[in-house]
Amino acid sequence: MHPTRDQAPGGPPAGASHDPALVIEGLVCGYGGGDVLHDVSLSVPAGAITCVVGPNGAGKSTLLATISGLLRPKRGTIKLHGESLAGKSPRQILDMGLVHVQQNHSLFRDMTVRENVELGGYILRDHALLLRRRGYVEEMFPQVAQWAGQKAGSLSGGQQRLVEFARCLMLDPSLVLLDEPSMGLSPKVLRTVFDAARLMNAQGKTILLVEQNARAGLRLSAHGIVLENGRVRLTGSGREILEHPEIGALYLGGAVTRASGPAPGDGGGAPGAAH
Amino acid sequence: MGRQIYEAVVDGILVGGVYGLMAVGLTLIFGVLDIINIAQGILVILGAYLSYALSVHLHIDLFLGLLLTVPAMFVIGVAIYWAFMRPLRGRERTSMSLLASYAVAIIIEGILYWIFSPNYVQLNAWYVISSVRVFGFYLPYIYLFGFALAVALVVVLYMILYRTRFGRSVRATMQDQTASRLIGIDVNRVAAVTFGIGVAVTAVGGMVYGATSGGFNPNSGYDLISRLLAIIILGGLGSIGGALAAAVFMITLESLVSIWSPNWAIVVFYAALVLVLTVRPSGLFGRQGVRLQ
Ligand SMILES: Nc1ncnc2c1ncn2[C@@H]1O[C@H](COP(=O)(O)OP(=O)(O)O)[C@@H](O)[C@H]1O
Ligand SMILES: [Mg+2]
Repeated sequence: MHPTRDQAPGGPPAGASHDPALVIEGLVCGYGGGDVLHDVSLSVPAGAITCVVGPNGAGKSTLLATISGLLRPKRGTIKLHGESLAGKSPRQILDMGLVHVQQNHSLFRDMTVRENVELGGYILRDHALLLRRRGYVEEMFPQVAQWAGQKAGSLSGGQQRLVEFARCLMLDPSLVLLDEPSMGLSPKVLRTVFDAARLMNAQGKTILLVEQNARAGLRLSAHGIVLENGRVRLTGSGREILEHPEIGALYLGGAVTRASGPAPGDGGGAPGAAH
Repeated sequence: MGRQIYEAVVDGILVGGVYGLMAVGLTLIFGVLDIINIAQGILVILGAYLSYALSVHLHIDLFLGLLLTVPAMFVIGVAIYWAFMRPLRGRERTSMSLLASYAVAIIIEGILYWIFSPNYVQLNAWYVISSVRVFGFYLPYIYLFGFALAVALVVVLYMILYRTRFGRSVRATMQDQTASRLIGIDVNRVAAVTFGIGVAVTAVGGMVYGATSGGFNPNSGYDLISRLLAIIILGGLGSIGGALAAAVFMITLESLVSIWSPNWAIVVFYAALVLVLTVRPSGLFGRQGVRLQ
């Protein structure tokens, strides 16, 4: 067990639930040309962080887009808490408690941070509820409240990520999809962003995380999935995948076994419940 | 001479306001859908003919008639969107929309020729004929009424865009379609309604145009669309404030030049466009062509 830094929110609730939050079976999907995902099956345990890693172009973003309803699968089933997502629009899927934070920055740049956060609750008809949620989210991310009046486009990359996180929590989702939140961030900012993800998880959100920065992503996560050429290559606990010799050599820059301790500057090491 | 200039400026501002309203409709459609609606010019003429039919056959006042023609043009706009624009997808949609909306323009023009013949007609009412002394010279009332209505409608559009939930969804869709879908906005509905609003304003533009242009026929749409396109490009595609400013600027410039030579007026119009775009390729208020990727 590695000593952890001041882990304010504590680790994710260990083994919170036994039913998986999300179950995918035999998923085939593409963009009209060839298939990008071939027969993908996986499950995302409730209450934990699950990390999908894999090389560029493996289909990670495509997988998330299919789950959130941006893309229609050709074949296969996706079930959220046992309920099928087949034929549902992104809007209906939001209603069911699943939100998706895209890989590319997706804030509305010309709007203020506050407007962006409120737009996270666009589908809420009840204004009082919207304000309550905003209060809750701004309490969780006090910095976001400080930037309220600024144009979203004027924030730095890391700040925008935090606002995106705040925005996605406006619906009080049960499952959050995060696509490469660390992309383009310095190690220091990356830590802040990962802390925020951990904080969300500590608040009871199940998280499906996609990370190019595989080592950092897997350390944060209880479970890992390796996606390669649109197929699931390996699943296991975050640690098993980190220490898998072949995977280490392929995606983690090799020599994983020796470097299994937290790298200098790494946030909290493996969160408490990672195994 | 000084007096002529003064008159030309007042005239330019008043007429420019109405062009501004028509251009706002066009630029809004582009901003949300990446579609250039070439049919906007002929739709203005269709709006003028609707006012004409109501006023000549049913003796309904031109301004009162707008209560019918504006909703009618809205419905026509939504129908055009569903039939011709919605099927356009992907990267080529902007250029494809030029063809699709050109087809729409030809169809409407054909129908108008068939119903109304190529003879020029003009809209008439007491406020078109009688003049009022403003700023020291005489102007038909319609210029003032038309300008006031255009300004009021632009304010209403602004309020819708910046004060309502629907307006927020429109602005969000203008900035990022995928992100908008991911927060639950039905971007197809936003697109259809926006297209409808963009076309609905042509009912007002058409009525004022039909009463102030000294006569129109189904061919008049071409002259209008070329001006409107120049205006929204100059203002920066997708920029509402830009479209308004460019409309007043261009129409004033045109009316100033026509003091010396009416033939040169329209040339100067496009020369000014080319000049400004050379210095600022994104137009006066454009954001470096972000909308065109
Ligand atoms: N919008 C799209 N249209 C067509 N092909 C796409 C699109 N987005 C991604 N692809 C293709 O799908 C494959 C997987 O891409 P993606 O899911 O983005 O991979 P990853 O997120 O793992 O890097 C790639 O070959 C990519 O070229
Ligand atoms: Mg990706």
